[in-house]
Amino acid sequence: MNRRFLIALLLLWSLGPLLWQVYTSFCSDQALIQPFVSNDHRWTLIHYQNVLNANPPFWRYLINSLIVGATSTFLCLVLALPAAYALNRIPRQLSVLTRLALVGAALFPYVLLFLALLELARALNLGNQLLALSLPYAALSQPLAILLLNSAFNDLPPELEDAAKLEGLSLFQRFRWILIPLISPATASTAILVFLFSWNEYPIALTWISDSNKLTLPVAMARIAGSSIYSVPYGAYAAATVLGSIPLVLLVLIFQKPIVSGLTSGAVKG
Amino acid sequence: MTLQIQNLGRSVGQHWIVRHLNLHVEDGECVALVGPSGCGKSSTLRLIAGLDPVSEGEIILNEANVTHSSAAKRAVGMVFQSYALLPHLSVFANLELGLRVRGVRPFDRQQRIQAMLELVQLQDRANVLPAELSGGQRQRVALARALLRDPDVYLLDEPMSNLDAQLREELRPELRRLVLDRQKPVIHVTHDQHEAMAIADRIAVLHSGKIQQVATPEDLYHHPETLFIAKFIGRPQINCLRPKNGVICAVRPESLFFAKEGLPCKITAREWLGSSQLLYLDSPEGFLRLSCSTAVDIPEAPHVSWDVSDEHHFALESGHRLP
Repeated sequence: MNRRFLIALLLLWSLGPLLWQVYTSFCSDQALIQPFVSNDHRWTLIHYQNVLNANPPFWRYLINSLIVGATSTFLCLVLALPAAYALNRIPRQLSVLTRLALVGAALFPYVLLFLALLELARALNLGNQLLALSLPYAALSQPLAILLLNSAFNDLPPELEDAAKLEGLSLFQRFRWILIPLISPATASTAILVFLFSWNEYPIALTWISDSNKLTLPVAMARIAGSSIYSVPYGAYAAATVLGSIPLVLLVLIFQKPIVSGLTSGAVKG
Repeated sequence: MTLQIQNLGRSVGQHWIVRHLNLHVEDGECVALVGPSGCGKSSTLRLIAGLDPVSEGEIILNEANVTHSSAAKRAVGMVFQSYALLPHLSVFANLELGLRVRGVRPFDRQQRIQAMLELVQLQDRANVLPAELSGGQRQRVALARALLRDPDVYLLDEPMSNLDAQLREELRPELRRLVLDRQKPVIHVTHDQHEAMAIADRIAVLHSGKIQQVATPEDLYHHPETLFIAKFIGRPQINCLRPKNGVICAVRPESLFFAKEGLPCKITAREWLGSSQLLYLDSPEGFLRLSCSTAVDIPEAPHVSWDVSDEHHFALESGHRLP
């Protein structure tokens, strides 16, 4: 009984705000202000219509974020996979030092970098270019991605690669046919984490992009929230939040199994 | 085609994992490498396979010096202790990978794999994943992969250690049929001395990274060159009497027998082993083991004795055999 109560409390704690957003997005403004007064026009789709018919329409931000997320994830994995593999092959002391440096980099608050990054964007003319956002995103996700993938490579029995060497497989062939398929759960969970980071990132996106057609989701949502100094558009903001969450929820639902197995790989032997 | 190892050694930092290894394996000959854990058995195989770099010495295979050749160029067929089958590929795909990399045409690949699966009696398991196979079947797939390589030398790294005793015994003739009859040099690493004696033509005993003796199983058992070998080969372990004048006298448990006169002793424990029994004795010469038939009657006040010809003598300091 106690256990069920605790689980219910935990679910309420974590899902409550989300459900409240869903509820708010479908409520008319009148019903939001007076939630306990009976109202014939409580439920509405007006907030979704407003958000989707705005200029530029909301789906553009979704697509912008999807493009940035996909390119950042791809770029990050392309660089992190060989780096994580190499970390196991370099001399032990160097590997330990590199790992420590990576942990330090992963824990570094990246917000402190955004002014410097802005200067870089100015100098290299990277402002207002959607794909250019992938560069800092992939770089900032790199330490965590390397550490996660490295532990996945560590968990693979070394004999598998030895057997492949004896069969005559080159380093690239071993990577392509053996290592990458075997660490795919860890790769999937790392990809999701990188994608989540770029999906949620705010300060860099805010400072690098000013063209409203190229905004990413977090910046666009902040604009909706702050569109009027006289009122807070709760309904529109909630509708934007729900729309912005759908791709993430789908992604996690589809890749649920590999994410869980990837994040726990190496936690227990066997 | 012979395998020759000359003064082979591998060091990591200041530490020598194996050193001064000399071994010559003829075609169709099987040499078993035995020794305690961490003595360098698997490291030696890895050096021969080209998986680890050689620090000193030479490996000559088929009259060619392959000491510094890559693993792929050595034509070595190796069976790993864990079998090292790729878990995400079917049995067929596991066997096909090497052939594909070596540029064998698809039709030829199909034919060779089918023939090999028939040889190892797994033709109906071609499309299953390794996880769905039993331990014995996995071992046969690992063997099939090594055989498909058509190597110049076979290296077997404890291929049966993951199997239960009964299955090990059943698979021994199969191992002989599949690998040992191919008339190629075979090196078989095992920690099971019974397996080594049953399969190998000669046994090399490794201790602390060095070969102590290479001899036929019979020779090794009856004429061990060091006390370590005398203790390591043969179960139950050889009895070592109290050292006298810097000499240790050792006698095998089956050489001891009950006599009217001899060493008085007390039986402290008895293990019934089916056809034989093992008795643990407390004597003035120390703790002894006596192995005899279960038909032997145990006297109430036992005395044990042995033939002088069954004694082995070793120097206390060096552990070397004395004439």
